[in-house]
Amino acid sequence: MTTTDIFIALPLLILAVGALLTLLLGAITRDDTVGTMIGVATTVGAALWLLQTPSALLAPTLGLSAATLPRLFGFFFTLLAAGTLCLSHGHNRERGISGEEYPATVLFATFGMLSLASATNLLTLFLGLEAMSFGFYILVAIDLKRTTSGETGLKYLLPGALSAAFLAFGIALLYCVSGTLSIHDAMQLTLPGGVPDLVALAGWGCILGGIAFKLSLAPAHLWTPDVYQGAPAPVTAFLSAGSKGATVLLLLLLLPQGADPELLRVPLWGLALLSMIVGNLAALLQTRVRRLLAYSSIAQMGYVVVALISGKGGGYRAAAFYAIAYGVISLAAFGAISVLERSGCGDTLDDYRGAGSSRPLASGVLALALFALAGIPPTAGFTGKFLIFFAAIRSGEIALAVIGILLAGVSVFYYLRIVIALYSHREGQLPSATTHALEAVVLVVAAGIILLLGVWPTPLLALLTHAFP
Amino acid sequence: MNEVILSLMTFLPLLGVFILLFIPSNNHGLLRGFTLLVTVLTFLVSIPLVTGFVTNADYQFLLNIPWIKAGPFKMNYNVGIDGISLWLVMLTTFIMPIAILSTWKAVDQRVKGYMACLLLLEVGMLGAFVSLDLFLFYIFWEVMLIPMYFIIGIWGGKNRIYAAVKFFIYTMVGSLLMLVAIIALYFKGMSAGVTDFSILNFFGLNLDPVTQTWMFLAFALAFAIKVPMFPLHTWLPDAHTEAPTAGSVILAAVLLKMGTYGYVRFAMPLFPNALERFTPLIATLAVVGIIYASLVAMVQEDVKKLVAYSSVAHLGFVMIGLFSLNQMGVQGGMLQMLNHGVSTGALFLIVGFIYERRHTRLITDFGGLSKQMPIFATIFMIVTFSSIGLPGTNGFVGEFLVLLGGFESKLRWYTVVASSGVILSAVYMLWMFQRVMFGKLDNPKNQNLKDLDAREIAIMLPLIFMIFFMGLYPKPFIDKMAPAIDKVIQQSRIRPAVAATIPVQPSMQMAPQSVKPAGNPAVPEGHPAVPAGKPAGHP
Repeated sequence: MTTTDIFIALPLLILAVGALLTLLLGAITRDDTVGTMIGVATTVGAALWLLQTPSALLAPTLGLSAATLPRLFGFFFTLLAAGTLCLSHGHNRERGISGEEYPATVLFATFGMLSLASATNLLTLFLGLEAMSFGFYILVAIDLKRTTSGETGLKYLLPGALSAAFLAFGIALLYCVSGTLSIHDAMQLTLPGGVPDLVALAGWGCILGGIAFKLSLAPAHLWTPDVYQGAPAPVTAFLSAGSKGATVLLLLLLLPQGADPELLRVPLWGLALLSMIVGNLAALLQTRVRRLLAYSSIAQMGYVVVALISGKGGGYRAAAFYAIAYGVISLAAFGAISVLERSGCGDTLDDYRGAGSSRPLASGVLALALFALAGIPPTAGFTGKFLIFFAAIRSGEIALAVIGILLAGVSVFYYLRIVIALYSHREGQLPSATTHALEAVVLVVAAGIILLLGVWPTPLLALLTHAFP
Repeated sequence: MNEVILSLMTFLPLLGVFILLFIPSNNHGLLRGFTLLVTVLTFLVSIPLVTGFVTNADYQFLLNIPWIKAGPFKMNYNVGIDGISLWLVMLTTFIMPIAILSTWKAVDQRVKGYMACLLLLEVGMLGAFVSLDLFLFYIFWEVMLIPMYFIIGIWGGKNRIYAAVKFFIYTMVGSLLMLVAIIALYFKGMSAGVTDFSILNFFGLNLDPVTQTWMFLAFALAFAIKVPMFPLHTWLPDAHTEAPTAGSVILAAVLLKMGTYGYVRFAMPLFPNALERFTPLIATLAVVGIIYASLVAMVQEDVKKLVAYSSVAHLGFVMIGLFSLNQMGVQGGMLQMLNHGVSTGALFLIVGFIYERRHTRLITDFGGLSKQMPIFATIFMIVTFSSIGLPGTNGFVGEFLVLLGGFESKLRWYTVVASSGVILSAVYMLWMFQRVMFGKLDNPKNQNLKDLDAREIAIMLPLIFMIFFMGLYPKPFIDKMAPAIDKVIQQSRIRPAVAATIPVQPSMQMAPQSVKPAGNPAVPEGHPAVPAGKPAGHP
């Protein structure tokens, strides 16, 4: 191992050591603040380390890369974990979720995301994805006092395990065709353009099936509403932002390496169309806020797939931008929901009535996040959607773009329903609740980033242009 | 100094919003006073635009700063005004302090949020009028939506949520399709060497007729919803009826002008062939709108709804004027936009005055008010005359020019039918006035009504002044906009060289490989191409 190898692997090491340290300290003190503090310090430390440019971009012996894209997403994932830990602190105390395993699991899941981001071979990629998923299997069911937790965990675990099996088998088939695990070579050989190899085709079918589960693309989306509904709100934020971001990143690591991803156009086209239609139409009928946002996330991932199809028109850039923007928006939305659902307030649209005056900060941030999801300027959601449809039209996917835009118009209706509920009059006051300082900071920062990416996206776009020339 | 005036004016209200956040939310007087101060300052900042405006067709007070640059596209912060946008900007800054003053007593819940929404709305409106970059325009265009949605949805009447959602969705659907068209237009432009979203780049493009048709339809739909044109007008009466007074005033005075401004600035000069093709359709819809809205206005029982429908009719005249595509017609249309802003704004204020006193707007609840409220009656009378276009008031000049221009153009027979709208407007306005103000004062609740107080008179005086000033001496307005109108007319006429007949030029290296040209690529303006045949419909 050279110093460069260590340099590149250090963020992973920091996270792993931090997670172990949290677990060990749990034996000494029962104070959850320590765990959160170590967790935040570790993730922020890893994020800061990722800001530096290493002397070489590859660590071949470890199978890790430190190119622009892995480091950008690594930075995003680690800060996301820090934000989640800050949000969870107050939430967990109120809900009685205690123990060192919570911050440790968040750190392990982040470790998985980071290794996925920096993988250069298919095996590391798969292991990273599964390490992350294991973290989430535990996190969604961590609220042991709620009766629904077990159900939620199982509903996430079973499809998740199935999708892992699909992914593993798909990767095995690709290996079978190409004889290499290196992402670049495997992609060149299995996405050659022209007449496809049947085994490679089967392999890609399995991989797309697995990814459809992870990204909750229709028709593999059925777990999403239940898990979004049942998991603790900060975990939902982390799941929606991190797990989806990581899966989009996985596709972004694979597809651009192929000689001609045209082979995948038709299945991805179908997935995108179905997800946009199913997600948007089902969201129209929801009366619970979290289920509504779950269906909306299905639709949002449909837009990302539109971008992935339009790779040659700048779609990869758009997909990466949207993954990050959607992550920040999710963190803001579910962070705000975590505050709003406090002290016995329910989760239906009616329960949210009048929250605008009793909890102005959380309601304001949630409203901003919803406007961003609806794609209204000047927010990150608008810039992201603009880039996606720009790429789609440029690549000639005009039908998909027009359908997507019309469905985005439909989506405005259900996002506005929540905003209306927040700012409509309520008989009597909502039960009062405190917003913890840490939560307030996370919400304000997330809202700031949503606006910043809407008004001044140039720096992020420049980075992404560098990553996808 | 000249370069920054527009930006200063546009973002001054935004600065006001930030300061507003730090004012305690229970100090209503300070909140209102501060907001009024901000809007008055904005108006004062905008005055140098009129005094410093050089009467020619060029864009002035230009400021162009690179903003977003990534890959193939570049957006600039590019602002400037010409004779067309100048007056709309002035109308906006002029109406805002009046709108703020009008809500002094009407809104006493969540005053802070209300004032912040009004100021944000002003940012959006001014930004949309001064943008010379399509992308920037689209952003401001959408930014207007959110505060207006909240103004209707939070501070509105009984049915506010239905009205707010209807308003939002109608406008949003139209503008999303416009976004597609903007992107597509940019790609068409790219193959002709355009490198950013500045609209000046796109005026010279000669797009093939098929592309023009689709893009015109996308733009025209977005603007038609905003105008609103028959049959897309149904959101307007709901929005107007439910909105608080200031919301209605701004909606009528400025937001509706966004639609007609969009036609003059974008849809007409960008797509001349499609314009030629769709003029009969749009003129038909405008005429139907005038007659239909007038007839519906006649049977309204709610004064506010009546005024809302009269807006639909008035905007129909504006559309006839604009689409007659001659100097008189477009001038009339532009003037009518300003007139409508002043007189319909004033009408909504008047409706607000009586609603604040009686909490009803039904015509049958009133009658004989003129005895009880003589000042109010006088002002109401003047505004009514202005709205029906009595000579001497502003409404007459605009309507007369529109009819004259329309009659001289290809729209002669449409204009003849539309002119019956002038009579109809007199019928419904005067009939309403008679039922509300004259007759017996027999409703006991009306016997103790107080006449207008000093604040209310102060609100109305500037509007009354403008009604007469624009009616008796419209020359300064017309003179300043005439060169810009000439330019728009020239751009909106079909150019003899149509791209569909021109072979691909080898010099077009800008075209990226991935773009499949739908039809033939465009050529820059002034390209010495010889048309192989004249397009259908060319005179």
